[in-house]
Amino acid sequence: MRRVSVDIGGTFTDCFLAYDGKYIEAKALTTHHNLASGFMEALGNACGELALSVRDVLSTVDAVRYATTLGTNALIERNGPRVGLVTTAGFESSVPLMRARGYGDGLGHAEQTDLPGADRPKPLVPIPMIVGIRERIDYKGTVCLSVDDEDVRRQVRKLVDQGCQAFVVALVNAVVNPAHEKEIERIILSEYPTHVLGGLPIVLSHRVAGRKAEYSRTMSAVLDAYLHDQMYHGMSTLEVALRQNGYARPMLLVHNTSGMAQLNSTHSLQTIHSGPVAGLEATGYLAGQFKEPNVIATDMGGTSFDIGLVTADGVKFYDFNPVIDRWLVSTPMTYLHTLGAGGGSIARYDRLWGAVEVGPESAGSDPGPACYSRGGKLPTTTDANLVLGYLDENNYAGGTIKLNRRRAERAIEEYVAKPAGLSLIDAAKAIKRKVDANMASAIFKEVAVKGYNPKNFVILSYGGGGPIHACGYASEIGVAKVLIPPFSSVFSALGAGNMNQLHIHEKSLYLMLYDATFRTVLSDYTVFNDTVAELEERGREDLIRQNVPLDRIRTRVELDMRYGNQLAQISVTSPIPRLTQPQDIITLLDRFSTNYAQRFGEGSQAPEAGVRINVIRVVSYVEHDKLTLTRSTASDPARPVARTERPCHFPQLVEPMMTPVYDHTAVTDGMSVPGPALIETPRTTYLVEPGWTLTMGLMGSAVMVKNA
Amino acid sequence: MGGDQEKSVIEKFLEDNVLFLGPDPEIMESHQMAPVSARETEAMAAFNNPDQVNLVRHKLQTACNESFDMVEQMGAAPGAKWGDLISGVWTAQGDLAMASMGGVLIFSVLTQHPVKFILKYWKDDPTVGIRPGDIFMHNDARYGNIHNTDQSLIIPVFHEGELICFTGAIVHEGENGACEPGGMPSAAESPFDEGLKMSPFKVGENYEFRRDIMTFLQNSVREPKLQLEGMKSKLFAAMRMESRVRDAIEEYGVQAVIATLRKTLLDTEQETRRRLSTWPDGIVRTNLFADGTLRENCLIKIRCELEKRGDELIIDFRGSSPEFLNRANNTVLASLKGMLAQEFLSFVWPDLPRNQAVFAPIKLRTDKRSALHCSPDAPNAQSMMTFFPSFTAVQIAVPKFLYSAGHRATDVIAGWYNMIVTFIYGGVNQYGELVGNVCADLNGMGGAARWNRDGEHSIAPIFAPMADIGEQELIEEEVPLIKIVPHRLMRDANGFGKFRGGHGYQQIATMKDSSMWGFMCCSIGSKFPTTMGIFGGYAPGCYPLCKVRGVNVFEEMEDNRDLLRFTVEEIMNEQPFPGGRYTTHHMGLQLEFAQPGELYMITQGSGGGYGDVLEREPEAVAREYLDELISMNTVNNIYHVVLDAESGAVDQAATAARRQAERDKRKRLGKPYKEFVKSWETEHPPEHLPYYGSWKDKALIYRGSRHDTCPADAIVPVMMRDPKDVRIEQLEAELTALRAQGKG
Repeated sequence: MRRVSVDIGGTFTDCFLAYDGKYIEAKALTTHHNLASGFMEALGNACGELALSVRDVLSTVDAVRYATTLGTNALIERNGPRVGLVTTAGFESSVPLMRARGYGDGLGHAEQTDLPGADRPKPLVPIPMIVGIRERIDYKGTVCLSVDDEDVRRQVRKLVDQGCQAFVVALVNAVVNPAHEKEIERIILSEYPTHVLGGLPIVLSHRVAGRKAEYSRTMSAVLDAYLHDQMYHGMSTLEVALRQNGYARPMLLVHNTSGMAQLNSTHSLQTIHSGPVAGLEATGYLAGQFKEPNVIATDMGGTSFDIGLVTADGVKFYDFNPVIDRWLVSTPMTYLHTLGAGGGSIARYDRLWGAVEVGPESAGSDPGPACYSRGGKLPTTTDANLVLGYLDENNYAGGTIKLNRRRAERAIEEYVAKPAGLSLIDAAKAIKRKVDANMASAIFKEVAVKGYNPKNFVILSYGGGGPIHACGYASEIGVAKVLIPPFSSVFSALGAGNMNQLHIHEKSLYLMLYDATFRTVLSDYTVFNDTVAELEERGREDLIRQNVPLDRIRTRVELDMRYGNQLAQISVTSPIPRLTQPQDIITLLDRFSTNYAQRFGEGSQAPEAGVRINVIRVVSYVEHDKLTLTRSTASDPARPVARTERPCHFPQLVEPMMTPVYDHTAVTDGMSVPGPALIETPRTTYLVEPGWTLTMGLMGSAVMVKNA
Repeated sequence: MGGDQEKSVIEKFLEDNVLFLGPDPEIMESHQMAPVSARETEAMAAFNNPDQVNLVRHKLQTACNESFDMVEQMGAAPGAKWGDLISGVWTAQGDLAMASMGGVLIFSVLTQHPVKFILKYWKDDPTVGIRPGDIFMHNDARYGNIHNTDQSLIIPVFHEGELICFTGAIVHEGENGACEPGGMPSAAESPFDEGLKMSPFKVGENYEFRRDIMTFLQNSVREPKLQLEGMKSKLFAAMRMESRVRDAIEEYGVQAVIATLRKTLLDTEQETRRRLSTWPDGIVRTNLFADGTLRENCLIKIRCELEKRGDELIIDFRGSSPEFLNRANNTVLASLKGMLAQEFLSFVWPDLPRNQAVFAPIKLRTDKRSALHCSPDAPNAQSMMTFFPSFTAVQIAVPKFLYSAGHRATDVIAGWYNMIVTFIYGGVNQYGELVGNVCADLNGMGGAARWNRDGEHSIAPIFAPMADIGEQELIEEEVPLIKIVPHRLMRDANGFGKFRGGHGYQQIATMKDSSMWGFMCCSIGSKFPTTMGIFGGYAPGCYPLCKVRGVNVFEEMEDNRDLLRFTVEEIMNEQPFPGGRYTTHHMGLQLEFAQPGELYMITQGSGGGYGDVLEREPEAVAREYLDELISMNTVNNIYHVVLDAESGAVDQAATAARRQAERDKRKRLGKPYKEFVKSWETEHPPEHLPYYGSWKDKALIYRGSRHDTCPADAIVPVMMRDPKDVRIEQLEAELTALRAQGKG
């Protein structure tokens, strides 16, 4: 296998290179002005370790895979194209009103509950750029009001006159009957053929999202149009750089659906959060290789803490309505929960409870924690970790950031210790404990709300800040084992290197499997079977377009089902690709019942209220070769030699403990280190708390286990 | 037998011979927390580290949020789907100590009453009792909660035989078998027209519902499916929370849980008092009027006086309207308190935790049998029609205190829009099911103008943040209610000011594919605004319910597309469909069956404005004009701005001159205050107005005419005439007059 996988994050560009059985990790700073520079530098660092040139590698690799959130700078800087929205007459205010609740989407609880202070974000499509077309299709797809050619032309001209640079066409019930959206596309193309105005992109909502709900689908299409240009410019720059260095194959982009595709088959919306999703995908693979059936993936960075779940029953968790920046959209994104907690989270004394509180406000990386000496004056998690002795002020982030202990102490004293009436150390301990508890609560809720018992899971910890807090938050939720994965500092890039080429197509429908009012069970299978066939065909077309041979294409049918009129839609993987007999219905009902009980409790099912399918989803994919990640079975009784030692304070102990500090190279495969201990790597520090033992594995992996 | 002994015998006899256990005034009229028990004192002494308490609190809060998610996901009621619910933990004495961070805040202060009823009457009753696994339910607002459409379910949590707390949830379920579908019947003329009347009672044991009771409840409502799903969702959420409480007990000990629940209440009260004490002492008065009962137009006075003294706030509503014995607009005192708590939890201190202690430093004064403190004999299904304006009366008084307050947690605002402008529906849906409920559009109330910027358009109801107005495609998939215009910002629907309130939206609805379908509406404010601007800002405009009957708009779509219009303004002004009957009404519509394609149109109001319109930036006026949010008439005659109709370019010099002229005009119209009072004040309400409430003297209450009064401390409830009888009488009089003319 010869494969390059890259994950471009906010600070670092991570590279994972698999080359003839060797696995190399490398990093470079992300170059926001031109992502290709950082990409090539990271790749160059990896090639350097193999003593090969970038050209040697790129001209011989099977694939370059790329995980990054494309185009979101356009959202942040609001410098995307001027989008014109064509919608059904009467629905012009749907986007400006954002379902009312939109003011709080993408914000924290404090902002969401502050109604007097609530502000909607600056619109991507201002009101004058929205026009209503006289047309109407009802819930069944019946045309109530047909499209009038002249009406469309008049409205579209109005948009162009106002400087429209991209069209979005989003009509009511277009997912049931897309005829009017297609008709409007035809009219726009006839009014403005590509040789006029250079060809304005036209995005039809039903092609971006297959679900009912006009606002979120329209926003999906708007974001797609808004990010489109930046994505293509960014990608073409990278493609040119790759071509110049000998790479001739198509690049594969990682999607947030846990799959990947070529650029010509990628919507910009599908790239959002693709890096973290790649990390979760790697977790799933690692769980299989390491034979750990239930794993909670945790990725703690400077400002955020991502939580994902891999379960033994293989249930796939989606977020069908993720919020991108401040916008609610409709797309089947692999579910990850992101908490605003990290090394930069700010600690304070909460007068209300007379206790120490941490976050959700964050000092981020600029100005950052007080100890960074970059102007930050407020105490943060990192400051507490420094005061407690976990961090080396001269060897933080591989020595790239010099920490100032005195500033950390002063910040904690002034803002936490004094008002709380605590000593400096007790205040820092309270911060550490609260950080761990906050993360533990978030993990607990994520796992428990899906019906699982967190105590039956192991925690996988990666990202820069995770290994310092992993023992802490694991203890809080009663988990006794923490895994640190191989190549943990480039784990998402590794995940990108392990994905399948995959496309998801879905369609809303109203299909009663059991009608409780009339006590009938579905007997006409035509709609189900025809819909599956249609979605399979669309998936096949996508993959064939990318030159995938037909015989390698696999499909999986998933159903979103619900009882009665409940909000809860539970995803069920159908074991049956087509319905042919009554037993098939019973099989689906049973599987739904099992999944529902898993989530809400046995006995909570309500089939008496009727059961229906709301969405049919077909996942079409082609499997790619996988990396080999081996769990070590070695046991080395030798004790590593500590580089130094220093006193560390732990929340559960009154007195400090002298704690040995190891360089990670000193702790080799099979060696065990009892807590308390610190193991420093160039990118992070593993804190083995008292009562825990770390055993080192292969490729930088490790396991920390709470002593019995 | 001595006197005391005789008394004791009589008391015993009376205690043993109670006809039935109706709402208990001792429970219902108090919003204070139960005194700290010996058990709680012991627990707080044993578990007293604030950081430790904080960790337990965090755990229980997570549990509340988890169970909230469950109810929202498993619930089938539209209300549940947009968050009209709350889940929480009550102390062993029945006080709500912690509640989910999402949902309707109003529940925070009024959910303790049914729990306290259960404790007082059922705990030691040998035929009922409280045991592990018991399930209790309740919906009758006279025993607590807001109105009968809300159903609560609670279960006790025991540890080694000791009652530790209760867990549960309350959801706006909608349909409840009332005389009209959807659960909020404005046609109710007595409490017995309001559907299910569940006093707090046991509906299951060993965590299972009794099938006979479930069947009875399903049999009592139009949507048995909804009743089943609602009950199951609440039970499993309560059970999930119970298991989380057990986890906390296992990890931290039972003392920790008991101590944390009580400490949370005590700390919250202390913090609220601390914040109140930073307000200046003083009195602020406001008067507001509800302009109808939903059955007829009249003026219903809300008299409000806020007095801040030390760390307490006294809200005095004495002198407000009497109760209406055969109208549904009466408020149970507890519901009023719940709604007022909303002002403080959402609009003044949104950072405070959600529990009933927030309201502990606040005292209420009301007249018994007034519309804001009604008797159990009066229906209350539409209590919002009096407690929403009461909320607003407090909301527009509070800024006067906040200006000099030492602590402000958010922006100072004018009056938020406060009416539930939406359609309630009932009938047979396209799948042949009988359904009845309310649309989520009521959640798009216009935001109030703020001290430094405009209000947001149709953003949130006054009772819940992050509420959702829903998506039309999902609505019409389930019910045959087609919105031709679902939510379209209404031109000029605005509280003008230096900073304007957020606009409201218009809705044009019809039905399709149903054999029987009816609409209802339940808002006031078609003639007199229900909310106000402050410091010179305007109140929003008033809008009627508009109808076009005798038309099938779907046929017009096929045959006469040129006649179609997509705003209420155009349809009502141009009356484009020949043969259609165009009418306007107040927004209290009792169930009315519609024919396919007939149009029902309503308009959501706006938030109040803030500050003088003449101080509004002319460029902001121009932007709104270009966005078609205001007309040129408003530009010219409200804001006094001169701009180019095509480009929106402001003529600064002409605008300055025009505004100066307007200021000069104001000066000319001005009068000394005493002179104004002398010319304005009258001894009695105007003769032509059906007026309810005090006029000059809060101790004297008018009952609809200047000739019909009663003392405030002995209110005689009002009985309204059937509007149909009134109409018949009018028509008969006209007929008689016509006949007389004919004879003449």
